[in-house]
Amino acid sequence: MATTLRRVLEYVEDQAGAVSLAQMARELGVPRPLLQEMIDYWVRRGRLREAGAASCGTCGSASLCPAAAFVLKRYEPVNGGAEQAVCACAAE
Amino acid sequence: MAARSYSIALAGNPNVGKSTLFNALTGARQHTGNWPGKTVEKKEGRTLIDGREVLVVDLPGTYSLAACSIEEVIARDFIVQEQPDAVVIVADAANLERNLYLALQILELGAPAVLALNMADTARARGLRIDTEALSAALGGAPVIETVGSRGVGIDALKAAIARCASRPSRVPFALDYGAQLEAEIAALADQSAADPALSARYSPRWLALRLLEGDASVPVSAELRAAASAAAERLAAALGDDAELLIADARYAFIGRAVARAVTHTSADVSPSERADRIITHRIWGLPIFLGLMWLVFQFTANVSAPLLDWVDGVVTGPVARWAAALLGAGGLGGTWVESLAVDGVIAGVGGVLVFVPVLMTLYLAIAVLEDSGYMARAAFVMDRVMRALGLHGKSFLPLLVGFGCNVPAVYATRTLENERDRKLTGFLATFMSCGARLPVYVAFGAAFFGAQAGQLTFGLYLLGIGAALLTGLAFSRLIYRNQPAQPFVLELPPYRWPRPRGVARQVWARTRSFIYNAGTIILACAVVIWLLLALPASLDLRAFNAVEPEDSVFGTTSQLIAPALAPAGFGDWRAAGSLISGVIAKEVVIGTMSQVYSAEAPDDDPDAATPTLLEDIGEIARSLGEAIVLTAQEAINIVPRTVNVIPGVKLPEADLLGAGDKGAEDTTALGTALRGAFTPLSAVAFLVFVLLYVPCMATVGAMRQEFGGRWALYQIGYTLLLAWAAAVIVYQGGLLLGLGA
Repeated sequence: MATTLRRVLEYVEDQAGAVSLAQMARELGVPRPLLQEMIDYWVRRGRLREAGAASCGTCGSASLCPAAAFVLKRYEPVNGGAEQAVCACAAE
Repeated sequence: MAARSYSIALAGNPNVGKSTLFNALTGARQHTGNWPGKTVEKKEGRTLIDGREVLVVDLPGTYSLAACSIEEVIARDFIVQEQPDAVVIVADAANLERNLYLALQILELGAPAVLALNMADTARARGLRIDTEALSAALGGAPVIETVGSRGVGIDALKAAIARCASRPSRVPFALDYGAQLEAEIAALADQSAADPALSARYSPRWLALRLLEGDASVPVSAELRAAASAAAERLAAALGDDAELLIADARYAFIGRAVARAVTHTSADVSPSERADRIITHRIWGLPIFLGLMWLVFQFTANVSAPLLDWVDGVVTGPVARWAAALLGAGGLGGTWVESLAVDGVIAGVGGVLVFVPVLMTLYLAIAVLEDSGYMARAAFVMDRVMRALGLHGKSFLPLLVGFGCNVPAVYATRTLENERDRKLTGFLATFMSCGARLPVYVAFGAAFFGAQAGQLTFGLYLLGIGAALLTGLAFSRLIYRNQPAQPFVLELPPYRWPRPRGVARQVWARTRSFIYNAGTIILACAVVIWLLLALPASLDLRAFNAVEPEDSVFGTTSQLIAPALAPAGFGDWRAAGSLISGVIAKEVVIGTMSQVYSAEAPDDDPDAATPTLLEDIGEIARSLGEAIVLTAQEAINIVPRTVNVIPGVKLPEADLLGAGDKGAEDTTALGTALRGAFTPLSAVAFLVFVLLYVPCMATVGAMRQEFGGRWALYQIGYTLLLAWAAAVIVYQGGLLLGLGA
């Protein structure tokens, strides 16, 4: 049986578009704070990435940027990204 | 004999109040420096516990001991190498799940630890009750103390727990059960590492086995031990279908879930009010009607509430301000010259004609800022995503399209958030159909002139038409470009709803209004001067007739007449309308500025026999009309309720009439409004607005398109939008005539 962590990743990858964290927590039966932790885990492993909305970098002025008003924390799968160990950076 | 001193370490995630707790423990007895060889700040302090001096070391904030970051290396090495007598794990009581992963790792390391549930007051305020004994039992008996570091609550209990913990003679590492197969490999590796006395003196063999299975390359072990760990990890992957690191993490998360479920109870409902509201607001069926309903309210609010102040600003600009400018220039000997014409008919009519819409834009920006700050706009994005996917469009494109409602230029740049070039190009193309703030003055001027209290519905309809044009264009393009391309998945974190913060809302409104006013002072001013010059210059280029030519015989009038016939099928084949549309290519607000200039040039002068008000009379009238405008604004705000309810057939709630002036609040008395009613019919006005909505975006947007997607794509867009705008306006006008709406 797949681990909860694996189910979280597969759930995100299987969505056809946007899903909210609350909805995902409900459907997976995982408490939302714990779900956030699990998503962060996959971000560290390079399978999901956190994308800021207002990252066009045009003007550098968040206070004037209309996009800044719509900044939503979102996570998306990294297509074709190689999975990496959480500690890959510790080899120094 | 003096009691022996000892040391403790404070560990915890960032932002859990660790520094506050450190201060509460050590008071002023602190020393700040750097960790040896690192640029990370090291804080030490001293405190007395049961008469013994205790060195308190504040470790850097970390989420784990995985040794991925310099902070994690410092925290782990300190606990392993310095072996403090106790580690105080500081956790945010309101976010236990987030904090227990680090706590588990520290306990597995074998460190004698106390769990301080800091910010316990916040957790209680959120309806969380934590059974500290149950949590302590789950964590192998590690003491659990609730604290509020900022108020010194629980510090004595924490010190007592530290003293008990530090006096324990032996360290028995906490052992989480990872399941039979993992446990067997852990035990084998732990036995192997325990056989090395130097290694087992530094590290708990079980913790070392876990780290090796997790692939930690930073722990100094022999090649044989590392090879054994690799072989064990391969066996586990073959048997359990996933790598050991993931299996270990999953077991820890499962343990955390169980421990929290056992120890934490919610005195409030399990589901937050925001989540309950979202089940309706982002519902896959109700979400869209709710979004449309709110937008309808926004445009009702914008068009009606701002109308009295718009009339007031218009009255001030076209009346006293124009008179004062003329009087000043007359006093300087420039009365009746081209300089006066430039100032009054050019700058004041052009720039002033646009600035009178500042109240409208401020009202719109206020409504949008309130929706943004409340957290609703994030939901709108969520709902829009579903709509676009239903039409076969790319879900992630919603953001640039929403940004386009403010201004199309940043919307084009916001497409940089999309990875695929084709997605970027299509989204940039569609974003220009979103009704930007600059188009709003045109809608409002025509809406007020022809549709009175129904102006809000007209504006709302135009915004919907822009969305519809974008969706249909996107649908057509996606059939050609995006065939069979699956929608991209993503997870959105919707922020909780909250009451809008007045300061935040005011900052947003001001930032956007300032940008509009800046445009009026630069681009629109320049356009007004150029339009004035073209209106003053005869088509014959006979300079003797400069500023004395009839508008239709000017360069502007003659050029506009060349284009006007092409617009006749759409019902506005008048040269003034054509000329305004040409100038509107520079910036959409300029359509209104130009109309103000063209129609003011043609308007008969004020009655020469009428007495000119004195300065004091002007000031008195400005103040009186401002007071009236404020009362009417309040009246219009109140009347949103009956006007909204009255949409229901058969319902007729009475509307407020604070000044006893009937429907004066919705009556357009501006100079431009009067001129427009003479030049357009309601049907041709709607066709004109449809053209303004859809035709070539402003030059700044075209420039952004060219910069982002190349000149050819920008040219395609100019051609496509011109054709679409013309076709749509003709359909509206001719269709309206066929339906008998042409009167």
